Amino acid sequence: VDAACVRSWLAEVAGGLEEERDFLTQLDAAIGDADHGVNMHRGFTAVMRRVDALEAATPGQLLKTAGRTFVSTVGGAAGPLYGTAFLQAGEGLGDGAAFGPRRLLEALRASLEGVQRIGAAGEGDKTMVDALAPALAAYELELRTGGSLETAVRAAREAAADGARATVPMQARKGRASYLGPRSVGHQDPGATSTALMFAALERAVLADRSQRFAAGARPRGSRP
Amino acid sequence: VIQSVGRAARILKALGSESARLGVTELAERLGLAKATVYGLLRTLEAHQLVQQDLETGKYRLGPALLQLGNAFLDHHELRARSLLWADALAGRAGEAVHVGVLYGPDVLLVHHVFRPDNSVQILQVGASIPWHACALGKAVVAYLAPPARRELLAGPLPRLTGRTLTTRAALEAELERVIEGGVAVEDQEAIVGEAGVAAALFDIRGVVVGAIGVAGPVERLLPDGPAAEAVAAVKEAARGLSRELGAGRQAAPGAGA
Repeated sequence: VDAACVRSWLAEVAGGLEEERDFLTQLDAAIGDADHGVNMHRGFTAVMRRVDALEAATPGQLLKTAGRTFVSTVGGAAGPLYGTAFLQAGEGLGDGAAFGPRRLLEALRASLEGVQRIGAAGEGDKTMVDALAPALAAYELELRTGGSLETAVRAAREAAADGARATVPMQARKGRASYLGPRSVGHQDPGATSTALMFAALERAVLADRSQRFAAGARPRGSRP
Repeated sequence: VIQSVGRAARILKALGSESARLGVTELAERLGLAKATVYGLLRTLEAHQLVQQDLETGKYRLGPALLQLGNAFLDHHELRARSLLWADALAGRAGEAVHVGVLYGPDVLLVHHVFRPDNSVQILQVGASIPWHACALGKAVVAYLAPPARRELLAGPLPRLTGRTLTTRAALEAELERVIEGGVAVEDQEAIVGEAGVAAALFDIRGVVVGAIGVAGPVERLLPDGPAAEAVAAVKEAARGLSRELGAGRQAAPGAGA
């Protein structure tokens, strides 16, 4: 995976957030401040502006820029949490011009650790961790059992979506929704939903990248970092 | 303990923790009771409008009498009744949401909440319980508790809500000293990531701490570089005024007077 693919991932996320903005806001209105969709959209619009202005950048630099931009433009919980997630992922990718599936696993793991350091949330607390942690686990399992980058990002996308759906019956134990106690039950967590959206975007970006390479007659890039 | 009253209470709690309505069978399964028993209890609760049956599906949900009871609880709460005007004024002055809370076990129970006056969508948090050590309101109250009560709370449990929650006795003791020194308690993303608070204790005619009032909002606005002086001044003034209204003398309110 190279910088162009990371750029298209970020663009896919921005597009997805644009489409799902009202849905995310609707989810957040039930158990939060009804600003998640707007915040995420605003943050990613700023990210795209900043990233588009960077001409030559490694994948790591792109993600770090995205993280820093996110922290500085988005308030609430989403800014520091997603900002840290991208920043840590960027750190995890290192300075290479391209990275393979194993490196991506490290980056995802660094993201989850960063998010948990700030939010202290575990699985089952009804937060973005409920999408991120299973996505990471599914990605890792797929690689371990001989899967390719394509099948691993698909597994991650599916696990993240299932994880987001599984937040519906949970009672929130972290974040503003936890103030509602039992009233938070029955609503899907907006943070887990936006995390699932990012994994769906990752899969689209990776698949598009592969099909372009095949179309161009190029051999797919090696899978070693 | 009267068994049937206990069962009725469990039915109400089960209905309150589920956004979907529940049928007799589901309730019976969930509570481990016979269907006939649950049905009888539901009919009685329904007669008092404590539960309501959906005519189409036959399922049950909470009834309107509970809203009246909840409001009555809040209305009879003297602190809340007296805090209404002060809380509105504080929200207007600080431009942030205002919370009034009382200590209930190891948690702060929010008895009043004024929305941030910016016309944005916000969710009413009255009734929320927040662990005392993670929020400004709780730290403001506990700082002025009698030593035995304070010790008991410091002994925990002190769950971690974010990476910034203070969870050790030593850190919290130092924090409570700072509250007494400064007259306000500050919360820096200790309960919710991105969210800060500034609160001050409220005292009654005996000089006993009865609760706290404070502002809550985004960390970048409330704690731009340490606590925003304007917010601190507004919170202190509201706490002082409200304490005086509760009968506290100028001397009787150590935090508010200093």
